[in-house]
Amino acid sequence: MLSKITVSPAPHISKAYSTRSIMLDVIIALTPAVAASVIYFRYRAAIIIATCVLVCLLTEWLCNTIRKKPNSLDDCSAILTGLILALSLPPAIPIWAASIGSIFAIAIGKMVFGGLGSNIFNPAMAGRLFLTASFGALMTTWTVPATVDPGMSAISATGTEAVTQATPLAWSKEAIKGKAQAHVANQQLTASFLGNTGGCLGETSTIALLLGGIYLLIKRTITFHIPAAVLLSAFVCASIGFLLKSEAYVSPLLHLTSGGMLICAFFIATDPVTAPLSQKGMWIFGAGVGVVTMLIRMVGEYPEGIMFAVFLMNAVTPLIDRFCKLKPAGGVPHG
Amino acid sequence: MAIEIKSKLTFPGGVHPPEYKEITENCAIEVMPSPKQVSVLLGQHIGAICKPTVAKRDKVQAGQIVGDSDAFVSAPVHTPVTGTVKDISLQSHPVLGRALAILIETDPENDSGKSPSPDRFDKDYDIQQYSSEQICEITRKAGIIGMGGAGFPTRVKIEPNPRLPKDLLIINGCECEPFITCDYRLMVEWTWQVLTGIRLAAKAARIERIKIGIEDNKPDAIEAMRQSVNESGQADKIEVVVVRTKYPQGGERQLIRSLLRKHVPSGGIPPMIGVCVLNIATCAALAEAVVCGAPLTHRVVTVTGNAIDRPGNYYVPIGTTIADLIDFCGGLTERAAKVVLGGPMMGFAIADLSRPITKTCGALTFLSQEMITKAKYDRRVTPCIRCGRCLTVCPENLNPTKIAHAVKKNRLDLAEQYYMSACIECGCCSFICPANIELTGYIKTGKILQARAKKKIPE
Ligand code: SF4
Ligand code: SF4
Repeated sequence: MLSKITVSPAPHISKAYSTRSIMLDVIIALTPAVAASVIYFRYRAAIIIATCVLVCLLTEWLCNTIRKKPNSLDDCSAILTGLILALSLPPAIPIWAASIGSIFAIAIGKMVFGGLGSNIFNPAMAGRLFLTASFGALMTTWTVPATVDPGMSAISATGTEAVTQATPLAWSKEAIKGKAQAHVANQQLTASFLGNTGGCLGETSTIALLLGGIYLLIKRTITFHIPAAVLLSAFVCASIGFLLKSEAYVSPLLHLTSGGMLICAFFIATDPVTAPLSQKGMWIFGAGVGVVTMLIRMVGEYPEGIMFAVFLMNAVTPLIDRFCKLKPAGGVPHG
Repeated sequence: MAIEIKSKLTFPGGVHPPEYKEITENCAIEVMPSPKQVSVLLGQHIGAICKPTVAKRDKVQAGQIVGDSDAFVSAPVHTPVTGTVKDISLQSHPVLGRALAILIETDPENDSGKSPSPDRFDKDYDIQQYSSEQICEITRKAGIIGMGGAGFPTRVKIEPNPRLPKDLLIINGCECEPFITCDYRLMVEWTWQVLTGIRLAAKAARIERIKIGIEDNKPDAIEAMRQSVNESGQADKIEVVVVRTKYPQGGERQLIRSLLRKHVPSGGIPPMIGVCVLNIATCAALAEAVVCGAPLTHRVVTVTGNAIDRPGNYYVPIGTTIADLIDFCGGLTERAAKVVLGGPMMGFAIADLSRPITKTCGALTFLSQEMITKAKYDRRVTPCIRCGRCLTVCPENLNPTKIAHAVKKNRLDLAEQYYMSACIECGCCSFICPANIELTGYIKTGKILQARAKKKIPE
């Protein structure tokens, strides 16, 4: 019987979860958003999502094989990257572009840094930014060009014409430039809440994203710090603009419910690998994301801006970590 | 059933491991007869290791000193049985690696075993007949040390020290480790003995204020202690304080934080803020030593887990080998996969069952394969995903992942920049880590390396 007895350092029990189960939780939390995107954008959404997930998995497997590293697919993080990337793409994106984005996300965004845990930037956002930088036109084509893709005509046929509009935030941008009235955009608030509006696959339905976010909070897969900081700071910034000049700036609620703000607050900015470790750091990080996003939306050129904000804050995460160095509870030890 | 009590008194951080106390919490303390032979380790405490005071083939009487030291920070060891010294040799030791142990063969004719005597104590017991010095002297002679785990000689702790005056005695009745119930049984069954020990310790230390901290998952113990404090008319001096059930509430630094909202300086000791902390078993042993003149030769050990036939709380001769104790408890079941000296959060997993029980060993936990599989055993370790959970649960507010990674890369200087030495090795970080990284293991290794490196540098 002795031969079966094992030794290892204490503790000998642990909480019953793992990296994998945490990733799975996030994937589960994304299912309402996935469902919403499939409802609104039909099989187009399904194809893009499937492509991204498969290409991400394949890329990770390839990278591991080439570098003779142990296979790491079973931590499910590649699936998650694929899902988030897909949900942040516009519905009209060609499959090849989605694939390139996925390859970039995993190969350059993650594996080059050393795989899960070592990447500085959120891989999905790296892929998304790469696509924006390389194929800018594709990434801002929110109107559905039925001519480019005959499959898309099915969408208009089902009566969800809303998807062929410009996104609410594009309206807002116009409003700032004085070309349109902010209240026109504000009228889209309800549509934006349900997801019945133009935008990326996953960022459209506020309800679906909220559901997922609440699930994560209840399961304690994420803590409330980052989402709260992102949403609060963005809300404050948007409110200031709205109160100062309501004919030019859209309602803060619209800012919160559109342009990927929610998917970012709950699913992207909370990516543990690229966010700060300490809770104080998380507050700073989240507030940074919120403020930078609103600056880009209200002052800069891009209507969405949140990816840039996350990317920027990812870059300063090591700095935030250093700044928020913890002090031992009993004070700094002497000697 | 006693009343439902909930407390909010607690410390920041910590975890809530499953308790598993139901396995043994209702098992009354049972006396284990003397085994055929015992192996008494000479270094069971913090401080100078004892030198043997007996030689091979000497006849020894139960309770006789077999090892002692002149050093101030030390405590003698005694034989729990009457018999013959068979050998004095190096034995494996959980902390020191190896230490001398005295092997004594029991003489079945003359050994009568030892029975506890909790009935000798009641509410009218007069502690005034002993002076402070007398109690300190007896505490040392009886070899009493902190029985909660660290094993610091109790005499050194309670003796008044003009440089670090103490004005509060905290009695640690938390027993926050999962599975362990020995202190709980002592509080419920030997209430008067424990209380007498507490009063004697306070007398020796010349402390007037006493707080007994008990977690809110032990309403029976809280009730028993409160009642006896009231009956003995000590309610103005002794306060039973209920604290929240959370691991590591029973860490002395955490308990002090919960009770006083003050923190002991990192790397410091409680007397630095005027507090002395004693554990329940230590108080019981102290009472027995002073009142009955019995040295510390036996202690209550919780034998528990789901891979032992007859779990329970046993009054065990110190020096009994684990193998003998297992036999007494009906043997291991088929499923046994891990033997842990202590509780599952801080205990040592051991493979050598010939090791003896020591004064600081409050529990033996036998874990089955299922239980370990559910936990760490064969789950995959992934890289740190920087989730920050280990930072959140660290009761000392450290950055376990950074320390562990520094140790992994052999950067002890970096580890120290993250205050490695302030770690109390509670295991919360490893418990919570979703990536299954043995954070506590790395930190412990780092501390050992650090200690070695420091020794090598000439003064
Ligand atoms: S770093 Fe040390 S004190 Fe902090 S949780 Fe880990 S083991 Fe406990
Ligand atoms: S709990 Fe584990 S995975 Fe999370 S930050 Fe700490 S070491 Fe990394």
